[in-house]
Amino acid sequence: MRAMVLLSLRNIRKNKIRFGLTTFAVLLGVSFVVASFVLSDGLRSSLNTMIGTGFENVDVQVRAESDLDEIAFTDRQIDESVADILVDIDGVAAVDPNTDSMSVTPLNGNGEPLGSMMSPVVAVSWDGSEIGALRLVDGRVPGPGEFVLDQATAERENMVIGQTYDVVGSRGPEPFELVGINRFGEEGTLGDFGMASFQLAELQRLDESEGLVRYIDVAGEPGVDAEVLASRIDAALPSGVEAVAQEALVSELEDELGGVISIFGNVLLAFALVAVFVSTFIIGNTFNILLGQRVRQLSLLRALGASSRQIRFGALFEALVIGLVASIVGLAGGVGLALGLRWIMDLMGLSLPTIDIIINARTIILALVVGIGVTLVASLSPARRAASISPMAGMRAGFRFGSGEGTKRTIIAIVLAVIGAAGIAYGLFGGSDNTALLFSVLGLGAVCAFVAVSMFSPLFSSPSASFLGLPLEHLPGNKITGHMARKNAAKNNKRTASTAAGLMIGLALIAMASVVATSLKSSFRAEMESTVVSDYFVTASNQGSFSSRVGEQVAALPEVESVSSVRYGNARIGGEQHGVTAAEIELLDELLDVGLVSGDPTASPDATDLLLQSDVAEELGVAVGDTVPVDFAAGGTVTMTVSGIYENSFLVGDYMIDLSAWESYFTDQNDATLSIKLADGVTLEEAGEALQPLAAAFPQLEFETNAEFQERVEGQLDTLLIIINVFLGLAIVIALLGITNTMALSVLERTREIGLMRAIGMTRRQTRSLVRLEAGVVSVFGALLGVAVGIIFGWFAVLAIPGEMIDRLTIPYLSLAIYVVIAAVAGLVAASFPARRASRLNILDSINEM
Amino acid sequence: MGTLEDRSTRDSIFPTTGNSAAMAATATGITKRYGEGNTEVLALDHIDVGFIASKLTAIMGPSGSGKSTLLHCVAGLDELTEGEVRIGQTSISELSDQALTLLRRERLGFIFQSFNLVPTLTAEENILLPLLLGGEKPDREWEQRVISSLGLDDRLHHHPDELSGGQQQRVAVARALVSKPEIIFADEPTGNLDSSAGAEVLGFLRRAVDDFDQTVVMVTHDPAAASYADTVIFLRDGRLVDTLENPTTELVLDRIRALEG
Repeated sequence: MRAMVLLSLRNIRKNKIRFGLTTFAVLLGVSFVVASFVLSDGLRSSLNTMIGTGFENVDVQVRAESDLDEIAFTDRQIDESVADILVDIDGVAAVDPNTDSMSVTPLNGNGEPLGSMMSPVVAVSWDGSEIGALRLVDGRVPGPGEFVLDQATAERENMVIGQTYDVVGSRGPEPFELVGINRFGEEGTLGDFGMASFQLAELQRLDESEGLVRYIDVAGEPGVDAEVLASRIDAALPSGVEAVAQEALVSELEDELGGVISIFGNVLLAFALVAVFVSTFIIGNTFNILLGQRVRQLSLLRALGASSRQIRFGALFEALVIGLVASIVGLAGGVGLALGLRWIMDLMGLSLPTIDIIINARTIILALVVGIGVTLVASLSPARRAASISPMAGMRAGFRFGSGEGTKRTIIAIVLAVIGAAGIAYGLFGGSDNTALLFSVLGLGAVCAFVAVSMFSPLFSSPSASFLGLPLEHLPGNKITGHMARKNAAKNNKRTASTAAGLMIGLALIAMASVVATSLKSSFRAEMESTVVSDYFVTASNQGSFSSRVGEQVAALPEVESVSSVRYGNARIGGEQHGVTAAEIELLDELLDVGLVSGDPTASPDATDLLLQSDVAEELGVAVGDTVPVDFAAGGTVTMTVSGIYENSFLVGDYMIDLSAWESYFTDQNDATLSIKLADGVTLEEAGEALQPLAAAFPQLEFETNAEFQERVEGQLDTLLIIINVFLGLAIVIALLGITNTMALSVLERTREIGLMRAIGMTRRQTRSLVRLEAGVVSVFGALLGVAVGIIFGWFAVLAIPGEMIDRLTIPYLSLAIYVVIAAVAGLVAASFPARRASRLNILDSINEM
Repeated sequence: MGTLEDRSTRDSIFPTTGNSAAMAATATGITKRYGEGNTEVLALDHIDVGFIASKLTAIMGPSGSGKSTLLHCVAGLDELTEGEVRIGQTSISELSDQALTLLRRERLGFIFQSFNLVPTLTAEENILLPLLLGGEKPDREWEQRVISSLGLDDRLHHHPDELSGGQQQRVAVARALVSKPEIIFADEPTGNLDSSAGAEVLGFLRRAVDDFDQTVVMVTHDPAAASYADTVIFLRDGRLVDTLENPTTELVLDRIRALEG
């Protein structure tokens, strides 16, 4: 075996560039895997540090009790007077009642609202207390008519102490003086969350929550156990209010945010696995060609007495070396990639804290497992084929390496296709509650399907390449190069197929994402057109809520016929937590055509009415007139009566209640959306003019026509699609590396042919275009196959996504065509390096090469 | 290099002197050196030679004598260390790769020992390859004449791997002829063929000279092949050592023995 090790190492050294490119493909995949772990570990650690800082001095927190699992900032308000009870409890050192609001927005010097959807600025109450994490840096603690900003926000918005700025509360803008700068713990900021601090009474006045606070922080006396204090406080509290000890608070938030981080990490990991999967194809392909080119050497070894086991060992050893190198370098590359992604996320203003770079032992082990594992798995079949070479095989003229048994291959491909289809079907329609299982099965199914497609594709790659190359026959002045490129691409069906496979996978996923997004957009557009009756929408640009006074002022305009407030909350219905939409049911017909199936909910809606989407009603087994118990966070359990069943859940979800119910069972009385129906004969322009003063008074709100609203939602979808494509782009880059690699290898194989053609008058430019055009044909084949597979996947996805989001399949032919063109051009570019090499080959050396 | 002085003395030192016929190609003081220092090899050592138009010239010599190098240098496939080569009136030493490629494509024809054909192309496409590379329209009548005279009419749509070795070389000869080049360079054209197939190919080259006034320069180590030539020049150790007009196999063998002895 030592001889084989030596030989393998020599082979690697002799073919540095080829092995280098292969290693690079694996390395990219490993880097992506490493980056996804490094980032999510780092993010988790940073958030945990932040949570720790936030609760460092908070021994106990008192807040509204709820059996709904809610994240912070939702409907939790308690009476301020609870604080008075706490002060007298034994062991309590200090009490700090606080509130915060997403509907109070300071404006900067230019009158623009602070913060954005990605990095909101939250209004909080702060009296200088050091129980929380806020610390004064400069100036003083805010009093009436004053506020304090966190350092990062003040610097970013160029706001200075002593200046007066407008703060928009429920009643519109009011002047406030900036009197101080503070920071959150040591970090200085709470991620990208900005904070505007107000005196408690001022903040309550601004968002009209007088007498209410969201939580009361309690610091215990030294030596008093937080748990003990919490239970002591709990006993003294009125019903509906609970005391939670520090440890529970920390772990609760860590769990909640940890879940979000896991999703983030898993999404990154999914992209990383796509990249790894694509690189597997490239490694397999490269090994196949490399070993094929060494048939002579291998059969000589066999003739000299090497066993087929030794040959296989040698091939696998080469793979092992490559995998090891790729893993180690990929580990470093992954950290670099993590830094890069962090930088990009900062640039995009995603609300993340400064992420630590954390390299766990698990990350290192996974990098090695992925890098080495993938390379070994990919080289198994080439190694097996190399081992089966007979001692005389290489001596025979015209020996073709790895022609494989057709029927066996077809059977494997069919089996994989069936497994793949089953996996995808289960993943999409299985309906299990275990999403991790569903996604794993889905992913595995997709992998099988891709492998099956790539195994089938040699069956039609030759005629396809021949067909796709047809235009090359008519290239002006370059007919013969085009003709030869076409013939070359068509000649080796397996190589064309496996080289195209990487691109096929990348393009399939991009095409699928694009089909889903386009279907989503067209469904949304169709719903907007067919179901929305109202003419205008008002929403908060920071996704927060806003005072109901805005709605009252809108309703007072003569141009407006009616205004409906829409609010989104949570409730427990049928034992499970669901999103609930509140709207003025009486005005429902002027808001949306929900497609009423039964009942007459608009007749005399009251606080116990519940409207259900028809599928949900069926699931619950209820009809109009039946009662359903509903748990609200603040309102307790209410027995509600089904007053209507509707078909169309667009914008309103599956569960609707009347606004009067919201007023009774929720404490936060702000609106999330206003839907405005204009009076007869009023044009959108006139309405826009009439709404202008309100829009100016509440600059944090978006006043949009249906078309504008639709445009914005579509814009968000487009952005999401771009982000997805950027991540899938890495898989494409790897696929292109594969094309570079294959073309470099095939140039090498055809050295004599190229030398001959150069001798009889092929110019360097013609030689380059010969190689490039062949790569172009292969790329277009891969891209088209990918788009075809992607459309099918996209169609399945559209079927699987609930009808309220997508109810139609729309195929974005133009974008797909553009993707194919981009892939073709990228293929041409990927081939430039081998093309250059081909054109620079020494003619005589090439002709004389054996 | 191509100085005036070289040119004025040229006629006197050409081994083919006495003949005022036009030269298709001339080489003046050409030297080819490989490697440096201890590993230096002098493949061609200040050779002056001219190749007469419309004649078949054979280049002979033992292995390592530089005969193939001479052919490659004259044909613009290899770079000279010193000296000048002219194809017709064109000095090729200073030409760019592009210009040299066009010169080979338009004015020269090539036949190699083996691997003469592009495997993916049919016989006809191979024959027309130089013309196609230049984007030129083939002269159909001439093409047909060449193909018929080489007996390739029913092989045109075959791929090289469907042709015998002799047939493949005949296709190569056809390719070299079809663009009506000034010179055809043949590097051991029969080296891989059995004697009857070889004789056939040599017969075609001879006829190309006699019937079509084609100039052919051929490297061979086979005295029988050399006997088809009008002139045989002998090389040893990179130097031009002898010339033989109107050779026969026996005469060639005698000269070789004399050279080796």
